Amino acid sequence: MDFAIDELVNEDASLISRRCWSDAQVYELEKRGIFGRAWLFLGHVSQIREPGDFVQAYMCETPVILARGEDGAIHANINSCTHRGLPVCRADHGNTRRFICPYHNWAYAVDGSLQAIPQESEVRNKPDKSTLGLKRVPRVESWRGLVFGSFNVQIEPLEDYLGDMRFYLDAFLQRFPDGIEFLGAPHRWVINANWKLPVENQLGDVNHGAFLHSAIIPREAQTAIEQLGYSVVPRPGHGATFRLMPEDSPWEDVAWGMEGMGAIFGAADVREYLAEVQARAGERVGELRARMKGLTYGVYPNLSFLWSNTSFKVSHPRGPGKVEYWSWAVVPADAPDAIKRALRTNYSSFFGPAGILEQEDSEVWTQQFIGSDIDFADDRPYFYGLGLGEEGPHPQLPGLVSVTANEFYARHFFRRWRDDLRAAEARR
Amino acid sequence: MTAEAIATTPGEQRALERFYYHEARLLDNRQYQQWLALVAESVRYRMPARVNVQVDNRQRGGEAMLAIERELETAEGQGNPLRDEGFVHLALRVERAYKINSWSENPPARTRRIIGNVELMRRTARSWEVLSNFHLYYARPGSDNHLYSGQRRDALQPQEDGFRLLEREVILDYADIGQPTLGLFF
Repeated sequence: MDFAIDELVNEDASLISRRCWSDAQVYELEKRGIFGRAWLFLGHVSQIREPGDFVQAYMCETPVILARGEDGAIHANINSCTHRGLPVCRADHGNTRRFICPYHNWAYAVDGSLQAIPQESEVRNKPDKSTLGLKRVPRVESWRGLVFGSFNVQIEPLEDYLGDMRFYLDAFLQRFPDGIEFLGAPHRWVINANWKLPVENQLGDVNHGAFLHSAIIPREAQTAIEQLGYSVVPRPGHGATFRLMPEDSPWEDVAWGMEGMGAIFGAADVREYLAEVQARAGERVGELRARMKGLTYGVYPNLSFLWSNTSFKVSHPRGPGKVEYWSWAVVPADAPDAIKRALRTNYSSFFGPAGILEQEDSEVWTQQFIGSDIDFADDRPYFYGLGLGEEGPHPQLPGLVSVTANEFYARHFFRRWRDDLRAAEARR
Repeated sequence: MTAEAIATTPGEQRALERFYYHEARLLDNRQYQQWLALVAESVRYRMPARVNVQVDNRQRGGEAMLAIERELETAEGQGNPLRDEGFVHLALRVERAYKINSWSENPPARTRRIIGNVELMRRTARSWEVLSNFHLYYARPGSDNHLYSGQRRDALQPQEDGFRLLEREVILDYADIGQPTLGLFF
């Protein structure tokens, strides 16, 4: 590289170089140091219930097929034929027995094993098909139905990787008797931005709401975030923000889902369902987490969860200045179909490619890339110092805890990011 | 929707086109409050998600194999439509448009809509069911300009002075979305 990694992020990560967001060499190092090493989110088990079910996924720019094999096990393979490299799976999702390459019809089972080479009958030396399957993602693990893959054979188990982030994820995932499900295909759209800014936005940056979104978000909602809000870093790179509601709050002020359009404009049975979930939240997740009213979560490097508008999102890089953003509507698995249809609008009304809020976010992410890709300003790195050193432990909440205006979630992200890039350079 | 449009008198066809041209002009002129007055308070405004689907081998050889409906995640289904909105959503979008901090449209984007292929498909006691196609050119500040292409499946309520929009389903011609927002009025 033309510059040292220490020039990108200073020691306490309160200064972040513009090059972090725009430089092609940095991006190549991110691929090797982060996307080639970390656990990356692939999908949810509700998308692949039956043998032969498959969905497409990405690990950075590499297309992956996530599928349930005929053996009932979950498989992840790179979507590229061993013969000439074409993607062998061309649909977003479906159910099949074989993935067949269009070019010469090499045929693969959903577990990735090569089943047939049509041309082999015409040659004397038969290729060893057992060595010519799709390239397997070497590590695949799931937790609470969330499936992750890693190209790093030696990576720690997924549960350790998530660490105390599980405490915060469970506040949502365990709230429902049968957990969650992903509805339909992800919304996928391209934004001319660096992949890290959508991540940072969801990792803990709830304080842009009152400003960027003031056309929509009322001041009272932001005041509640300031008064009741917590920002937590359970492990560097992960983050959670939420409001911890007072013990005497009425149920409708606490319950998940009541903030959204689906509950506000849905039939009475939607609110009855949400009331029932909240009434039993204490026994499912404990009294403390029953009072948690989540905002945004992030799992390193590029998975986000928006509790308040119930969406899982992945920021897939497509170069330093382009991202393909995927987002899924998430609903409780046990809810009746009509209630699921109402609750999914909690997501789509405000978020996703048509979302009335998210259109402002994607605009500023695009504008941030413009600012990051300029010349003659490298001596003015971005200021990430708000609340520096003000985070600390909490008697009940695992991890480092602070007010939501403290940017420690981003500093910890960039410290981990810097460590990963350093390690990648050292391995070279 | 039946396969063929039903017969209309030239006057009826002209009335439909007048309504659509008027609507397009209001939207391109950013007169969203006047446009909202054309919308019934019971409106259902939807945009299915569109996906790249697996072709069903058993349907090969026939038109069912390529049916558009197979690609749509609609409001009635258990998928995830892009928009499933009522009057309140549209009113909120109109209200937002005239606030200075609607930053993705400040400075405002320029649009130009071409509406065509207007076909009356069915008349019921309540409404006329009408298909139309659109091309919407969208230019934000900067040189990144976009084309939106799609079909609208409407239910219009005839009025003394024209029509009111009862239902609109916007079928976009994209599964992979390259446009900066789908939150426009189509």
